[in-house]
Amino acid sequence: MAQARLGRSEQINGWLFVMPALVLLGMFMIYPILWSLWMSFQTGRGMNFSFGGIANIVRLTQDPVFQRALTNTFIFLIVQVPIMLVLALLFAAALNDSKLWGRSFFRTAIFLPCVTSLVAYSILFKSMFANDGVINDFLLAVGLIATPIPWLADPFWAKVVVILAITWRWTGYNMIFYLAAMQNIDRSIYEAARIDGVPAWARFWHLTVPMLKPVILFTSVISTIGTLQLFDEVNTITAGGPSDSTLTLSLYIYNLTFKFMPSFGYASTVSYVIVVLVGILSFIQFVVARDRR
Amino acid sequence: MSGLRLRGVTKSFGSVKVIKGVDLDVADKEFVVFVGPSGCGKSTLLRMIAGLESVTAGELHIGDKLMNDVDPSRRGIAMVFQSYALYPHMTVRENMGFALRFAGVAKPEIQRQVQEAARILELEPLLDRLPRALSGGQRQRVAIGRAIVRHPEVFLFDEPLSNLDAELRVHMRIELARLHKELKTTIIYVTHDQVEAMTLADKIVVLRDGIIEQVGTPLQLYDDPDNLFVAGFIGSPKMNFLKGVIVEGGVRLPGHGDVVVPAREVAAAGTPVTVGLRPEHFAQGGPAMIGVRVELVEHLGGETYAYARHGQSELMTLATNNARDLAAGDTYEARFDPAELLVFGADGKRLR
Ligand SMILES: Nc1ncnc2c1ncn2[C@@H]1O[C@H](COP(=O)(O)OP(=O)(O)OP(=O)(O)O)[C@@H](O)[C@H]1O
Ligand SMILES: [Mg+2]
Repeated sequence: MAQARLGRSEQINGWLFVMPALVLLGMFMIYPILWSLWMSFQTGRGMNFSFGGIANIVRLTQDPVFQRALTNTFIFLIVQVPIMLVLALLFAAALNDSKLWGRSFFRTAIFLPCVTSLVAYSILFKSMFANDGVINDFLLAVGLIATPIPWLADPFWAKVVVILAITWRWTGYNMIFYLAAMQNIDRSIYEAARIDGVPAWARFWHLTVPMLKPVILFTSVISTIGTLQLFDEVNTITAGGPSDSTLTLSLYIYNLTFKFMPSFGYASTVSYVIVVLVGILSFIQFVVARDRR
Repeated sequence: MSGLRLRGVTKSFGSVKVIKGVDLDVADKEFVVFVGPSGCGKSTLLRMIAGLESVTAGELHIGDKLMNDVDPSRRGIAMVFQSYALYPHMTVRENMGFALRFAGVAKPEIQRQVQEAARILELEPLLDRLPRALSGGQRQRVAIGRAIVRHPEVFLFDEPLSNLDAELRVHMRIELARLHKELKTTIIYVTHDQVEAMTLADKIVVLRDGIIEQVGTPLQLYDDPDNLFVAGFIGSPKMNFLKGVIVEGGVRLPGHGDVVVPAREVAAAGTPVTVGLRPEHFAQGGPAMIGVRVELVEHLGGETYAYARHGQSELMTLATNNARDLAAGDTYEARFDPAELLVFGADGKRLR
């Protein structure tokens, strides 16, 4: 009996302790989430809106700019995430070799971009890839190209620049996860494989990669989420241009809310598209990576 | 046929010399055990033979080939690690067959080899399990199976049983002895458990601090140790060491009532020596006698050990031929045959 009473007062105390955090979370997270869900069913401009049912969803299917943003986002996702994760894995494998000369230098060098500010590095990339930027100067000087590449003016090259930028910024971040996981692998597993004559590529492909599977899943999920929310880089480097060729979903949401005549309801609907995509893609990745045994 | 020959082998990590010049011959099909205290360089020496560590100086021959700079996979060896080193995401079957895929062995042949190894090691019912679903002893057998399928000329084992409980250890020890008979290959086995060494080895190599202290059959090392270290390391319970002085016709034991134990004069009279007597030497009795007071009695059932001393002397361990009614505080006549006595000089070397 005494224990039950003690239990109740502990419960009350416990709730009192977490209440401030819960109230703040409720106010600043749960409420906006629910409010935006409600908003996504509103139509109208500015503060002048009314319930529109599925009108916004219908509008999505007829909005060429949205479809453009969706396509661009998927192109970034499909091209950039695999390149980045494979690079991160290869770097991690190379830098995990204790005999490699200067490996702590390379580790730091590859990780360093992750601590730079998103906007600052984006501005730097913008200036480097300008028509008369260092990249063109360099390529011209070594004779790889005869005329400057219109990096930021051409739809294809603009996408390339964005992909280069986010790869530069985030590869080291993913590499750190792989390195940490690799250091937990028993070294004698590799020694056993070496004695047994398993070649280096097979040790990587048949031992390292499967043993890192949980981490690879984790990084691919967070990279997917990150790419679906891609905003800072495209906003700073290309502002979505030229002619919407690097417009992403997040940038479109921003434009809908703050640049164009505000359309809060429709912007919320596009946000929920991202939520649904994150859900679906994460689920697919978990299913693919599921242990079949 | 594949023996080993090591000549002047050394190993340094940076400026630290870990193996300080090892000469060793291992005959074909011999079961050799490296023993020694922790940190003496057993694993390092084994890993050098495997090719996982480079040889700083000296020559390492496996068979008739100089192997100093040969890749681990081309030395005709297989190694079983203390941590088992199984591939965690592969089934027992895949674990055992994995290396063969890269040796150009055809699939049906791999299957056959794996089946054969599984039969020898009684792993057949477990072939489709993952390592995490196996007990320690079963994992150990898989690790051995992975070595067997490659038909190496030399097996290397680095403390393969140290992660197992005592009972399983005894069982696996017997299994390993059986396996050696069945496979008829050279085995080099590292342990710091001298019971494992005594029971398994054809030949024991006692290492200390990167140097070989003595090489010999288990009984040679037990009966005829070259120095104090080997005498103390081999045998359980440990040999008793008593301070003594050489006198005419024997050794005087100043700590034990100045008894003079008859012995061959192995050094000039007056030389201080250390006398070694194994606990079990006291079980048979004999003409020599030391009077002691018992401080502690250990009943093992089959044998009763007394821990006793004479006055302020060092504590001695005595086998009592199962004197079950012995109790702490009793006085006891520790009798032994002086022929069993071993005499060591001040430098620890045996005086014969
Ligand atoms: N990679 C290394 N770098 C520097 N020193 C090392 C290295 N590997 C081993 N040593 C040192 O070499 C000595 C011998 O190590 P080794 O692992 O061979 O001992 P061991 O006899 O196997 O001991 P144990 O019974 O504890 O396994 C130790 O003093 C150890 O600190
Ligand atoms: Mg060791």
